[in-house]
Amino acid sequence: MRTLMYLPEHYEFFCPVKINSGNKALEQLPFELDALNARKPLVIVGKDGSGRGLVDVIIDAFKDSNVTIGIFEGVPSAPDLKLIRDLFNIYRGRGHDAIIAIGGGPAADTAKALNIAVSGKPEDIEGCAGDDHVKEPLKPLIIVPTLAGTGYEVSKYAFFDGKNYASHFLMPNLVVIDPRMTIPEDTVTTIATALIALTHAVETYTGSGKNPLADAYAYTAIQLIMENLANVIGDQQDGNGRLSLANAHAMAGCAFSNVALGVAHNLGKVMGDMCHVPPGLCMGMLLPRVLEKQMSEGGYHISDLLLPLAGFDAYANMVEDLRARRAVDILHDLLKGISVANGGAISRLWKDAQLSEDTLQNIAQIAVGNGAIFDMEGCMKILREAKEGK
Amino acid sequence: MRNFKEVTPGKKSLKKCYVAAMMWFMGRAIQASAAVDKSVRKEFVDMPDEFTFALSVMPKGPHMIIAKDQRGFVRYSGWDPEGKKIDLYMKIKNIEAAVLIFTFQESTVVATARDRLVVDGEVAHACAIVRILDVVEVYLLPKIIAKLAVKRYPDWSFRRKYLGRVLIYIRCIFGF
Repeated sequence: MRTLMYLPEHYEFFCPVKINSGNKALEQLPFELDALNARKPLVIVGKDGSGRGLVDVIIDAFKDSNVTIGIFEGVPSAPDLKLIRDLFNIYRGRGHDAIIAIGGGPAADTAKALNIAVSGKPEDIEGCAGDDHVKEPLKPLIIVPTLAGTGYEVSKYAFFDGKNYASHFLMPNLVVIDPRMTIPEDTVTTIATALIALTHAVETYTGSGKNPLADAYAYTAIQLIMENLANVIGDQQDGNGRLSLANAHAMAGCAFSNVALGVAHNLGKVMGDMCHVPPGLCMGMLLPRVLEKQMSEGGYHISDLLLPLAGFDAYANMVEDLRARRAVDILHDLLKGISVANGGAISRLWKDAQLSEDTLQNIAQIAVGNGAIFDMEGCMKILREAKEGK
Repeated sequence: MRNFKEVTPGKKSLKKCYVAAMMWFMGRAIQASAAVDKSVRKEFVDMPDEFTFALSVMPKGPHMIIAKDQRGFVRYSGWDPEGKKIDLYMKIKNIEAAVLIFTFQESTVVATARDRLVVDGEVAHACAIVRILDVVEVYLLPKIIAKLAVKRYPDWSFRRKYLGRVLIYIRCIFGF
């Protein structure tokens, strides 16, 4: 008999990240730093965190703690090695012993690169690029995500100065999710980051590396996004909704650190970078097409996906053979709903990107080179279908 | 370097004063309740002689220290743990968490469940202290507020609730 809970013959799961979420979560930072044996953190703030009062919230959280903090504001969207050398000098020169990153990708990537440097020396960074080249535990790292975060911050991955880094030692010791830090910058960023997290969670839940522990993170992330994304788009003051989305992003990051990156991630990332559109929107647009192709090939757990996407009642009311189709339709409907709510942002994406056949070929080629599990033909089919809106 | 600053965050003096005042009153109320209420007395009877417990806010207070002496009497022993042998520490992780508890936005039980406290000592004794705090809050607070502060609002007799409340308030004010 087919069981809903899938246990592979062998799996590995590793997640050392402590998540501290909720009202006044930031005020726990001094206690958590003490537990990590750190006394003087260096706070790195991304552009999405600067000028919006978030730094004041952090300073306020440290009141009465007898902790002195260094604050660096304004991490650029493309940080480089010079910045790391400057931050390294501050870290060492002023006696810091932990790093706190506030914000989305660039702040977290900078913090991870800086952590490699301060745990050894700045020259070590380039040698650590690639898979599993960081071999030892690093200094304490704490991430405080904003809604500009995608879950990447929490993951074992970092992208810095044109190079990819992957190691479980890059994962933060602690993620602090506080509703005061999750006020969205704009709706498109909120949608794009949520779609990245949804893509990671869905591809973990349906991918070949699926295992019960990754499922637990992915399932929760999918459910939180499905229940809260539309509410947050409609009402950015929805504190619980924002907190739920930020939690979903973090959980998706923990989940996809334990599986191979999926096709929608690969294609969407390459396409976003190449065409200068938010990768999250590309991933979201490609995800249902990728699932449709996987569905046609069979054996991919897509029918199980209906449970976190639609809930128990919808799952139980659907005959087993139709569950996968329904799951994909729900994702299509979600995208349509988001696009309508946002004045057609996602549909315009394809027009703005001006995707010629050559561009599609390039995207597919790079994605296959990055390890997409489909071949060129499969990737092209997905890209063409998405372009034609099938 | 531009964009860098070193900050020594200030104090939250007003919140600390409020929590210190609440702890002072709560400490005296626990002493009074141990003399007035049977269930509180029984909880303390089950604790070892000279048992001392401190409810503290991290990192440096305020504190509330309660001690049971050799004769079994429960005494509020002030706010300075210096030089005292503390058997059980219940530490609230930060002043904001203490404000949530002492403004009754979160009951002690909920705050514990939400990891806002750490316990250093016997868990059984800590559970007893949480039960004692619940009883004391029922005496001190009107029902509408106490319902927020305790796990379950008890169904006490009129005599126990109101006579006990009067006695405890008198003992709190006069400190016996």
